[in-house]
Amino acid sequence: MSGMHDTGLQIPAEAQPPGRSALARLYLRFEHAILGGTAVLLFLLFWQGLSMGWWADLLQPVLGDDAKALRIRPIFISSPTRVVDRLTQMVASGEIWDHLHASGLAFGLGGLLALLVGIPLGLAVGWYRRLGYALEPFLAAYNATPQVVFIPLLIIWVGTGMATKVLIVAMVTFIPLAMSALAAVKTTDPRLLRVSRSFGSSDWRRFRDIILPTSVPFLLSGLRLGVGRAMVVGEIYASTAGVGYLINVSGASFQTDRVFVGILIIAVVGLLLTWGIHGIEQRVQRWRPVAVE
Amino acid sequence: MRRHERPVFAGGALLAFLLVWEAAFRFAWVNPVFISSPVQVALAAVEVLSTPEMRADLAVSGTEFLVGYLMAIAVGIPLGLAVGWSHRLYYALSPFIHTLNTIPRITLLPIIIIWFGIGIWSKIIVVFLGAVIPILISTQAGVRTSEERFIRVARSFNASPGRVFRTIVLPGTVPFIFTGLKYGSGRALLGVIVGELYAATAGIGYFIASAGNAFQTDKMLVGVLIVVATGLLTMEGLNRIERRFDVWRPRVGAGE
Repeated sequence: MSGMHDTGLQIPAEAQPPGRSALARLYLRFEHAILGGTAVLLFLLFWQGLSMGWWADLLQPVLGDDAKALRIRPIFISSPTRVVDRLTQMVASGEIWDHLHASGLAFGLGGLLALLVGIPLGLAVGWYRRLGYALEPFLAAYNATPQVVFIPLLIIWVGTGMATKVLIVAMVTFIPLAMSALAAVKTTDPRLLRVSRSFGSSDWRRFRDIILPTSVPFLLSGLRLGVGRAMVVGEIYASTAGVGYLINVSGASFQTDRVFVGILIIAVVGLLLTWGIHGIEQRVQRWRPVAVE
Repeated sequence: MRRHERPVFAGGALLAFLLVWEAAFRFAWVNPVFISSPVQVALAAVEVLSTPEMRADLAVSGTEFLVGYLMAIAVGIPLGLAVGWSHRLYYALSPFIHTLNTIPRITLLPIIIIWFGIGIWSKIIVVFLGAVIPILISTQAGVRTSEERFIRVARSFNASPGRVFRTIVLPGTVPFIFTGLKYGSGRALLGVIVGELYAATAGIGYFIASAGNAFQTDKMLVGVLIVVATGLLTMEGLNRIERRFDVWRPRVGAGE
């Protein structure tokens, strides 16, 4: 994700001769936002048009009756205005807060559980060689597997409900955290460790002063990956409240507007969380000399 | 001793795990229905794997995986190259790419099922959506990290954009594409399982879900083991391929 915002191929400084009009300069400055915004607007317009039948009416003279295919019933695709209407209605009635509350709780508790188990486990497996030998095969197998496959097992064990949701969130979030903690310990500069050992530092000291600071960026990227996975997975399968439940039940009853409200919420929350963690990552990286790796 | 320490510890841990599991079943430390036992699972595996139903389930899951993954490759690589090459196209498409990257594909399942039904196509679409994003993002990252000096030199010597693309950008991007293919395959496998657990009429995920619903823990674990083994094999195979191309490259990609 790091190569996302730099200018790679284009070499703009040289490509743009000085002395452009003010308008052109303004455009170039906000090009990303302008082009992105326009594309989103066009997409929304196209979507609205499909459900209102604008395109069908427009192309009627050209395509004849075939144009009817461009009029899609709202039950299948809803439309941007319907989604917004439904969203305001759900906010006004307070229904949305119940879902957000249930999801937030599962997400928070599950994430916390994953942090408390995943990070210490990853660090320990990286730090103690023999423990690593014993547990790495399990971790590798678990990591290579889509963890959702264990959901039916979990449901047999704990039933459906809040506990299951929390455990499912923990189950999928824990592995990227553990793997990045493990990677963090493994990639610590061995010279630093050797020097500190030569000066007679304790295990704990080395862990606190060398391993832990090196780990932070790894842990954050693990967190970023974990967040993406954790959202909603549990609720879609087993739940009676929450955003995932909203999507699931509305989908099953063809209430497409409500499905899109749910998807919208998840997209917004997801983007906010990703940006938040990305921001922390940038802050943490800043003081770091470009050395290891 | 030291030389064989790793296999000794790994094997020991695995053996201990299986023994404790079997003991927990034998002495009923936990309700046996909940956990089955290694012996039971092995017996169930022998029984299940020889049935034609299982072969049909595997064929369905395999088809979903392959078709969706190939579609993701066919779309992800060209689009990734285009988006990496033209920053305007990237600006226009970036809101969609980021949003799709953030939403867990599972949330789209209900709507995909409304559109495509609960048959094989809804799963193919989920697999496609899961795999296409990492492939696209890695490919784009590959194009963007092309060695700038090479491009400048080539431009100074009047190379056409097509030439620059073919001789500098494309070869440099290949390792990134493989990284993307690796992450993509993980997501594709996830898509198959997620989709089939959710709503399906056949496939390995369907098998697991229906065994789970009937409390046939041993059968269910056979299914889980098949998925674990497939995941490990795919990961290992792609790691090997990636390592061949990756020797001289820094790691950048969609993450996972």
